[in-house]
This record gives sequence, C-alpha cells and structure tokens, in this order.
Amino acid sequence: MRGIGIVRQRLKGWSFSRRLRLLSPALLLLMSAATSWAADKIAKIDVFPPTPYDGYIIYESLAVFWLFIISLIVIIRMKLKEIERVQELGVEEESPDAPILR
Amino acid sequence: MNCPRLKDWLDERYDWDAIKKLAKSKLVPEHRYDLWYYTGGITFFLFIIQFVSGMLMALYYVPHVDFAHKSIIEIVTKLNMGWFFRSLHHWGAQLAIAFLFIHLFGTLLLKSYRKPREFVWVTGFVLLGISIFFGLSGYLLLWDERAFAATRVATGGAGAFPFIGWFIKAFLRGSMDVTGDTLLRFYAFHVAILPIITLGLIGLHVLLVQYHGMSVPLTLEKEKLRQAPFFPNVFYKDLMIWLAVMGILVTFTVLMPPEIGVKADPLAPPPENIKPEWYFLFLLQTLKLFPGEILGLNGETIAILLVACAILFFFLIPFFDRKSSRGEKSPLFTWIGVIYLLYFLTMTVVGFLS
Repeated sequence: MRGIGIVRQRLKGWSFSRRLRLLSPALLLLMSAATSWAADKIAKIDVFPPTPYDGYIIYESLAVFWLFIISLIVIIRMKLKEIERVQELGVEEESPDAPILR
Repeated sequence: MNCPRLKDWLDERYDWDAIKKLAKSKLVPEHRYDLWYYTGGITFFLFIIQFVSGMLMALYYVPHVDFAHKSIIEIVTKLNMGWFFRSLHHWGAQLAIAFLFIHLFGTLLLKSYRKPREFVWVTGFVLLGISIFFGLSGYLLLWDERAFAATRVATGGAGAFPFIGWFIKAFLRGSMDVTGDTLLRFYAFHVAILPIITLGLIGLHVLLVQYHGMSVPLTLEKEKLRQAPFFPNVFYKDLMIWLAVMGILVTFTVLMPPEIGVKADPLAPPPENIKPEWYFLFLLQTLKLFPGEILGLNGETIAILLVACAILFFFLIPFFDRKSSRGEKSPLFTWIGVIYLLYFLTMTVVGFLS
C-alpha cells in the first residue's frame, strides 16, 4: 500500500496523455497475458465437425450404419444356412420349381 | 439379380460355367483353427479401403513443405467428409498393420509356413515390411512437429546401421536432414512406389495360396477333415467378417479422429515425450535397453545389429524349421514363436505406458 502511495505522489503532476504513455506497455503486456490461455485452443485444429448439430447427425448415422451392417450379416447368415442345408441334401442347387414352403 | 441377356453375352465370349466350376472346386478345410484363415482376408479388405481412401486424399494433398500441413487442415476442415476419409485412412492403416501382425503370428504358431509354403511366408513377410514403411512414409506427409521428429529419429536410427547405414539414411532423407526433399521422396514412396510393389506382392501371395491350397495345422493333418467349398460358403463368411470389421473401423473413425499438430519447424526442439506409431514401440524400447557405449563400440549400432539379426532369423524360420517341413512336431519353433510374440507385446505395452 505504501508503494502505491509513493507512485501516486509521483504521478500527481503528470498529464493524462503522459500517464497513458507510461501505462500502455504494461496494459499491452497484461492484455497478451490475459488472452494467452486461449492460445493452445486456437492452435488446436477441429478434426471433427464442431457444431452440435453435425455431431448429432454423424452419431445418428453411425447408429444407422451399425443397424445396416447387422441386418446384412443376418441376411447373409440366413442365406449361408440355406446353402448349407441344400448342400447337406446332396444336391448342387435347389430345383427352381421347388415350392418355397413345404 | 438375374440378367439373362448379359449372361448370354458373357457366355458367348467366355466359358462362364468353367470359371464358376473352378471357383466351386476350391475347397477349404474346416477345423477348430480355421478362424485364422480369415485374418488374411481381413488384411486384404483393409488394404482395399486404404487404396480407395488414399486415392481420395491424394486429390487434395499438396506434397510441398510450405503447403502440406495446410492442405491436410483444409481436407479436414473445409472438404465435405474430408475429416472422415482422413480418419478412415488413419484407422485403416492401424487395423491393417494389427491384422498383418495377427496373421503373421497365427501363421508362425500354426506352422503354416512349412514345406511347400515357404514362399507364401516370404511374400507375406515382405508385405508386412512394406506396410510398416507405408506407415512411416504416410506419417511424415502430415508435416507436423511430431511426424517430423519421428521421421528424424527413424531415419537417424537407420543411419546407425553399420556399413550401409549412411546410404539408407541419405536415400530416405534425400538430403542431410529431414527437409522438403524427404517429404517429396516419402510422398513418391507412399503413393506410387509402395502401392505398385504391394499390388504385385499381394497378387503373388494370393496366387501362391491358391496354388498350394489352404494349410492344415500339423496336429490335424492326419485327421479326416470336412471340406467346405470356397464359393459360396467361405466367401459368405468372409463377407460377414469384412462387414463387422468395416463397422469397427467406421466406429473408430468417427469416435477417435486423429489430431493434427503444429506445423513442423526444423529449427524448433522436438516435442516432449515423443512416441512413434505403436508398431515401432517395441523397437524403440529395445534400443532404450542398450547403454550408449558397449566395450568401446556405439551401443545404438550394436542394438540395431541385434534387432536386424533377430528379424532376419524370424524371416528365415521356414528354412530353419526342418522338423515341421518333414511333418513332425517342432516344439522348439513353437517356443521361439511364443517368445517373439511375448517380447513384441510386452515391449509395445511398456513403450505405450512409459
């Protein structure tokens, strides 16, 4: 507090522009220090669409994609089972005239 | 889908039925280890994804020291789905190399390399080496500080190899240090030279597998195994597995897109705690085990020589393992395989955690 008082005594006779000139380097230093916390964030590049809407669409598409994959796997599995059943019967291919339901 | 006119058109020109018969005549034995057969197919599928996603990225990538980093940022931030294809390419590479290692160790432990399949092993092993070089060359194309430092370490390590190290280092870098020349060189390797060699080797590898047929483990060789036709039975199973792998790959792609670091500055100090890609970690940890000087000789040179000898021995295992080529059990080489696998896994985990 005593230090501040001494500085105030010294600055008493100074004009505003002179005071501003003296303080401007300190102000600039403070400003750069105050924004430096964001420097890392600015350097970081968005490798994924940043808006929540885009994020939502992408995650939803991923879920739909998995449903599509699982459905395809189930269909192929069913087809494979059918092929194996026909192969076990000892015939190359099922007759095209065979009824679907027996 | 039934297109009789197209079928007739093809039948008039090609013996379609003979091709179908040939595809059906290929038989694959069914046994408790047959899951290992699919690891090769998965790797092949991942290679196709790498080729396609790489072609898309090559349309926009600029292999110049001033624009490489910026062009990748633009691919990721400005192009429609650019972030997705870059991430797909990154994770595709990770999975392809992981499955190559699984395929390699599966082949080693089941002794599928034994006579007469030695050259199947040789082509597969060279493909693994090329894939690792694919990874190294692709990593530098990002031209960020980590890629730059990792390439400097990797090419510097190659330089420690006795007698020919200086040549390998100069050939890889194209100049004294990692510069724009290195970037251009790695780009040429990544998009032209390596893909051509890979295509040729994959063709030869698949041709040799077709020629010799599927290998059966020694323990099951005398058993009468059920044979399934490759087409359609095994092909459909392949398709199902590829779909599942595709799902896993896309999930990684979406949930963990790879970061882009700060642009490389050759004059800046390397970033702290720098680590290479996971498949180089075992090599890095091995180099760390050696002191700087052993009996007045450079420790790094000795370490690289020993690692090179170990890899060469691994490569030549089919020619050393005489017992399994005679159809006898060879527990020594099973243990050697297990030791190699455990060493690789342990050193990779230690490197990852340290």
